Amino acid sequence: MASSPVSESLLSLEGVSRVYGEEVLVHALRDVWLDIRAGEFLSIVGPSGSGKSTMLGLLGVLDLPTSGSIRIQGAEVNTLPDAERSRLRGQAIGFVFQQFHLVPHLTALGNVETALLYRNLSRKERRRRSLEALEKVDLVHRHDHRPIQMSGGEQQRTAIARAIVTEPLVILADEPTGALDTQNAANVIEIFAGLRSPERAVCLVTHDVNVAAATERRISMLDGEIVADESQVPVR
Amino acid sequence: MRRFGELIGVAVAGLTARKIRTLLILLGPILGVAAIVAAIGINESSKGDLKAKLRELGTDLIVANAQDAIGGFGRDPRIPEEAAGRVARLPDVTSVTGTLQLSNIVTLPFAAAEDYYRAFPVPIIATHLNLPETMDVPLVSGRFLNEFDESSAARVAVIGRDLANEYGYIANEARSIQLNGVDYGIVGVLDYVLLEPSMDSAVFITFANAVEDWDEDDPDPTRLYIRAPTNTRYVAQEIPTVISLGGPDGANTKVPTDLLDAQSQVDENLNNLTKMMGGLALVVGGVGIANVMSISVIQRSSEIGIRRALGHSRGTIAFQFLIEALVIGVLGGILGAGVGAGVVWGVSEMRDYTMILSVSGLFRWASVSVVVAVVAGLYPSTKAARLEPLETLRLG
Repeated sequence: MASSPVSESLLSLEGVSRVYGEEVLVHALRDVWLDIRAGEFLSIVGPSGSGKSTMLGLLGVLDLPTSGSIRIQGAEVNTLPDAERSRLRGQAIGFVFQQFHLVPHLTALGNVETALLYRNLSRKERRRRSLEALEKVDLVHRHDHRPIQMSGGEQQRTAIARAIVTEPLVILADEPTGALDTQNAANVIEIFAGLRSPERAVCLVTHDVNVAAATERRISMLDGEIVADESQVPVR
Repeated sequence: MRRFGELIGVAVAGLTARKIRTLLILLGPILGVAAIVAAIGINESSKGDLKAKLRELGTDLIVANAQDAIGGFGRDPRIPEEAAGRVARLPDVTSVTGTLQLSNIVTLPFAAAEDYYRAFPVPIIATHLNLPETMDVPLVSGRFLNEFDESSAARVAVIGRDLANEYGYIANEARSIQLNGVDYGIVGVLDYVLLEPSMDSAVFITFANAVEDWDEDDPDPTRLYIRAPTNTRYVAQEIPTVISLGGPDGANTKVPTDLLDAQSQVDENLNNLTKMMGGLALVVGGVGIANVMSISVIQRSSEIGIRRALGHSRGTIAFQFLIEALVIGVLGGILGAGVGAGVVWGVSEMRDYTMILSVSGLFRWASVSVVVAVVAGLYPSTKAARLEPLETLRLG
């Protein structure tokens, strides 16, 4: 990933619609245009069923649009074959989920290393980079613990380390504080704010207005459409 | 190569994380391979001592029994001395011994057992002096009949080993047995004659005794034992002609080891049945693998989803599960072959078999286990690859 100007478009949706179902059609997303630029710390907010999770899936190229395009650094990716799309996803996007989704039989280090598999890295290099990522979330001392041996906050920080170890362009977080208490939630938001850099954007998808208030750009959704896209002074 | 190593690592980690389930999946291929290896091994090992015996005996002994070439003339068929001489002069023949079994003689170790030995008579065999050489059997004790016994018609006898055991004969003991009331001194005990077990309970005397004591006016043998180390089959075919030469005396021949040889051949039908049943066990094992792995795919859907989110393609996910199946097949094959070999060893020890186990057979059946496991893994692998990450990750 070459360093890019601050305003470079990292991830964009162009006229994206997503319709589910065959007999009964559900329009989860309708003609959405969105551009996420380098250096941004933004949130996508909306009530349940507003289409924000669908949008997250499409932004992360985990799903394909019914119509429209998904672009990573200007290149259309939704038309690529699965293997190529997966490779790009692994390179460009880091995911953090509400339920952490750590592999239960792997240690914290093993979970972080999973993100570096099949990249032609030596075991030693994978380990070094993973420990570095755990260091960033202050969890290096817990690297040999399994998820079940860690608190919710620690599991979420492990998930964050897994998301950043590949040095992605965009970090997409789905309700990252949803399963955490207030103190842990505040810590996690702090970590996300710190992850943003001139080359990288951080995007939180949430229904929690307090979380959204911590970001600098707020995109509001309702019924599958973007109803507001505004800059704000972050409150943390 | 590094990628393959990583896939193996992920597969092994997945399998070792769920030890009980992995053990249950492994049971199928282990039992299937073990069943086949054990059944075939036991079947072959049970014939192993026959094969060993065959090697020990050699396959070059021919037995020629007298028979009338033209039709009976009111006397028992015999092989005349000059005919036996002709057989002995054949180029491939190294040794010929004639024997004549005498009838209606009651053999008694002691008088009180007369009723028993009248009911179960002991065979009395008049023999040429080179019987131990021709039969390739040593004496357990004492000596065999010799030239002096023959020329003097001395009343001496050699007994078979079973008879010696039955009589409680102690080695080199000075003892006699009665043949129809006539005392014969026992001079030796012949060891077991594997190719002619009837000799083990027989009494051997000279042809001179047969003539002197038992009024055999025709001291010709009824049977010839012939060693022909080369061209055994051809010699056996030739002998009837050599004996008969167009005259009334004839003979039929057989090679006793032919029967042993046939017995030592592993029963192909039984083997095929065994293979079929073992194959069936492997297929059932394969179905088990497919079944348990399919459930595993559902249970691990979240893991699959996160791997997809981390950039692993559908192909990589499918390959990961296929490698898990491969590891199961390899482990199951190795363990199954080991268990099967252990069973063959145990049974061979218990039953005193000569253990026969084909190493190539072990590899072959272990490979079948690998193939079955990989084929069984195809469906769950495809299923894993087709999972939609969005559905498995249950976004908030």
